[in-house]
Amino acid sequence: MKKITMLVIAAIIILSAIGCAAPAPAPAPTTAAEAPAADKTPIKLGWLGALSGDGATWGTADKNGTALTVKQINAAGGILGRPVEIIYYDGKGDQLEYINVLKRLIYEDKVVGVIGQNTSGNQIAMAPIAEAGKVPIISTFATNPKVTVPEPGKLMRYTFRVCFIDPYSGDVTAKFVSQDLGAKTAAVLFDISSDYSTGVKDYFVKSFEALGGKIVAMEALKAGDVDFRPQLTKIKEANPDVIVMPLMFKEVALSANQARELGIKTTLVGGDGWPSLQLLEIAGPAVEGSYYLDHADVNDPDLAEFRTAYEKEYNRNIEITAVMGHDALLLMKAAIEKAGKAEPEAIRDALENIKDVKVLSGTINMDPATHNPMNKAAVIIKIENGKFVFFKKFQPAQ
Amino acid sequence: MIFQQIVNGLSIGSVYAMIAVGYSLVYSVLNFSNFAHGEILMIGSFMGFFLLSVLKVPFPITLALSMVGAGVVAMAIERFGYRPLRLRKAPTLYFMIAAMGFSVFLQNLAIIVFTPNFRTYPQLFPLEPIILGQVAIGRLDLLIFIISLVSLSLLSLFIYKTKVGTAIRATAYNYRVASLMGINPDIVIGIVFFLAGGTAGLGGMLFGMKYTTYPWMGALTIKAFIAAVVGGLGSLPGAVLGSFILGMVETFASGYVSSSFRDLFSYAIMIIIIIFLPSGLLGKNTSEKA
Repeated sequence: MKKITMLVIAAIIILSAIGCAAPAPAPAPTTAAEAPAADKTPIKLGWLGALSGDGATWGTADKNGTALTVKQINAAGGILGRPVEIIYYDGKGDQLEYINVLKRLIYEDKVVGVIGQNTSGNQIAMAPIAEAGKVPIISTFATNPKVTVPEPGKLMRYTFRVCFIDPYSGDVTAKFVSQDLGAKTAAVLFDISSDYSTGVKDYFVKSFEALGGKIVAMEALKAGDVDFRPQLTKIKEANPDVIVMPLMFKEVALSANQARELGIKTTLVGGDGWPSLQLLEIAGPAVEGSYYLDHADVNDPDLAEFRTAYEKEYNRNIEITAVMGHDALLLMKAAIEKAGKAEPEAIRDALENIKDVKVLSGTINMDPATHNPMNKAAVIIKIENGKFVFFKKFQPAQ
Repeated sequence: MIFQQIVNGLSIGSVYAMIAVGYSLVYSVLNFSNFAHGEILMIGSFMGFFLLSVLKVPFPITLALSMVGAGVVAMAIERFGYRPLRLRKAPTLYFMIAAMGFSVFLQNLAIIVFTPNFRTYPQLFPLEPIILGQVAIGRLDLLIFIISLVSLSLLSLFIYKTKVGTAIRATAYNYRVASLMGINPDIVIGIVFFLAGGTAGLGGMLFGMKYTTYPWMGALTIKAFIAAVVGGLGSLPGAVLGSFILGMVETFASGYVSSSFRDLFSYAIMIIIIIFLPSGLLGKNTSEKA
């Protein structure tokens, strides 16, 4: 008994010594070969997100999704034969708080990897901390390109994400409207004051034109404004096959109502700013028959098993962030398995080139240059009979 | 397209006009811009929403009640906020600061009381427009336009043809002399705030029917304020004229130049007017207003 304990302690000391001291990802076949056999200590990971404050609904679901996945992984034998242990911290949706708890995870709890969190602003603030602490962090839902590439040519080496980035959804939207809706012409109504909206617009236009489509009207608005009839009148004149609206739900609702009032019957297509019950409240009949694109949908049949397990475990409805929390942990698991050892630097290296990881929201193929998943599937949701209905999973061709 | 854009411009202008007259009315007697005006509009809009969708009060009665309600709120703000300042002969700047205070206070109060959700009025009119050739006219827009014209006409009849209206104009012309002539300025100012609040309540309700109701909707009245400045603060016909000009300019800037430049145009017009006609298009220099 004592000997085994000593062995384990020795293994931990050796492991952590390598983890701390080795500057380069030194291949250590001896430890890798021996560790799984002897090492039954838990792999320590960190999680952070908003468990109180504004984003608590999303954060709590994210945490629950991750916790359920830990349970599932441990029941199936853990990672590399070792159980997973996650330390959860509440970042309260506050940048400073996130920086503090991330430092605590890295320097006090000494986790080998971190899962979290779902907003771009906080993730951007945390990226330099992960960089300094040399611990990989996988964001669940931070979709701004600047999270991993703050400026062209600069890559945050330790920050990754499991969601696709905003501009990419412009690209997928273009493929969807031209392939599935058969659109030859499109109009775009975008928010000039939002990075998200202009990013989606740029990529939509580029891809749509590459697919042989024609942009017949391109109109801007500013979030907070309420009357978009002048813009819509121009769009009406151009008579497009679809109107693409990468906007937040309030602007979508008002412009949809006003479009119908101007006699525009064109199909509307949007993005992940759409899903809000308030959209249906304000503009139910006007958005009927519209489509929007999102990262995942709880009604996706691929999610049914996880959803049932989640709703049984927590006795509450699943939120989409739960799926992303699950996916981020699966990606972390795949990276640790690929690395063959639970060390931050090795996990980072594994994450950078990781391929073909099947997660609930699609398949992850990491782009080493940007740390964004490449060519990930999106879900298309249709508004039918005043409800958001899962339409299909859309896997864009390479 | 040009006719459709004219219709759009008139419709937007008619909403601005209803709000702009409130700014002008208050300015005409007290010489300051009541920046809490937008929040009175918001309160009127919420009143309309609750009367119509929760208490199921018929539409015309709701219209009247939210007008009166917003008017009373405006009077209360004057009575407890501005009158003490007036009696102490505070400089105009203090009134503006107090108004901004009320604006922020009411907005935050509304966020707490009503939650920051968007409220949707029950749909009283179908979305299908009336089609005249190439031009689509929204039913609700038509109603808003008519109500706006009717209420503005009634307001000007009141100001120009009644005894109370004459008292308001006299007070606007010269506050002190008017009170020497036996006009009670407290009552006149109360009435002015009631009228301004009433039009804001009406505007708020129509605004809510078209664009939804939410606690920070008052911020949108900044455009109506610009319209009042362009037309000449303190002048009622000026406020209406300024509103239609602004509605048209915005529509045509979006329609024929670029929608990205719309606000650039509206603010540029205000700056140009202030530089070349400091008292606006119809505002008369110095004292004669309203």
